Amino acid sequence: MKRMHEKKKDELLYDHNHDGIDRRGFLKCMAWAGTGAFCVMKGGVLKSYSLSSFSDLNAAEAKGELSFVQISDSHMGFNKPANPDVAGTLKAAVDKINALPGTPEFMLHTGDISHLSKPEEFDTVDQVLKSAAPKEVFYVPGEHDVLNDDGKQFLERYGRGSKGAGWYSFDKKGVHFIGLVNVMNLKAGGLGTLGHDQLEWMEDDVKHLKHSTPIVVFAHIPLWSVYPQWGWGTQDSAQALAYLRKFGSVTVLNGHIHQTMQKVEGNVTFHTAASTAFPQPQPGKADSPGPLKVPAEQLRSVLGITRVNYVQGQHALAVVDSTLA
Amino acid sequence: MRTCVFILILKAALAMALGTTGTSHQGFTVNAQQKPETAEVKIDNFSFAPGTLTVPVGTMVTWTNRDDIPHTVVSTDGAFKSKVLDTDEKFSFTFSKAGSYPYFCSIHPKMTGKVIVQ
Repeated sequence: MKRMHEKKKDELLYDHNHDGIDRRGFLKCMAWAGTGAFCVMKGGVLKSYSLSSFSDLNAAEAKGELSFVQISDSHMGFNKPANPDVAGTLKAAVDKINALPGTPEFMLHTGDISHLSKPEEFDTVDQVLKSAAPKEVFYVPGEHDVLNDDGKQFLERYGRGSKGAGWYSFDKKGVHFIGLVNVMNLKAGGLGTLGHDQLEWMEDDVKHLKHSTPIVVFAHIPLWSVYPQWGWGTQDSAQALAYLRKFGSVTVLNGHIHQTMQKVEGNVTFHTAASTAFPQPQPGKADSPGPLKVPAEQLRSVLGITRVNYVQGQHALAVVDSTLA
Repeated sequence: MRTCVFILILKAALAMALGTTGTSHQGFTVNAQQKPETAEVKIDNFSFAPGTLTVPVGTMVTWTNRDDIPHTVVSTDGAFKSKVLDTDEKFSFTFSKAGSYPYFCSIHPKMTGKVIVQ
């Protein structure tokens, strides 16, 4: 918390309209868990603030008409350093959600609900999330949720009404949400995979939507190439994103890498959420992507939740990360 | 109950027949005089070590997960497939045919290895 007041970060602007302001590049703002970032898209221009300037925003901008929360990677059943109590930190995440000004309408869980796909692990998460103010939760599986049974248990618990391995879409207040599964049938040496059937379904799912419909895609493994050497990417995500090219506003929410990260490319804002269980190293900053061991007193500053707000008419979608500290 | 007692006696007899070596391969040993070949692969830091293992036909290879994160050992062509291995859990497979057996971790598919059986 202390770090938030240390310095004010620069405000970043990115042009979504391709009107010549910044045609070439993309903005890559990496918000290392614990610092946090806040992004607002208005009139096609995305503004990114550090949490230090969060208070400069007015209440209407911060709240929006549709507000939901993303949590990820609860890894229930994990019991090693740096977090022997992942149920405790998930409870802390729920407390954080319940303390937010204005109850979010629902939650997204972007996978790795459990650590070893054990029934009791899923049961514990279900139990903890019962005390969250938002009662509706939408899930997509992480690779830890589909161990040993090709995702059968996951589908039975969370996949009612979904297609294939658990993909689906729904609408809330004019925003179209698409939950994708990219953790099944992984091939040796490869990355996350959506597969032909899911891509075909997705193409059909968005075909009849107006170009002005805001789109939110959520999946476990990032749909952009974060760090392929560690498997942090999805090999056929380009095809999925091609189907979304016609839309003015696309937000992609992922988990898997246990740290917050953002990238804006064209009409698409990519965002990964922190874990509620344990942090992982920054890409390439360790020998492997194994759990990052941090001192106990620092743990909650590298875990977190993500809140997303959509303001109708203003064409704004705001993504706010906050830590559990 | 009677069956259990019988098995215990059989085990004791087998142990005596095997002599005093006291090795732990009795479950796999048909001929008491021929100890099967064994080899180890360690899983550390999201990699298999050794990455390529060359063994004679009949070798039992044991993988041990020494990471904080679960892994699997899955043959690319379906010859073998472990359940998920949590920290310190093991998986063994006996290679009875010569050939090249590429495998990977189905949770972290960037992790690949190979067993060459000669």
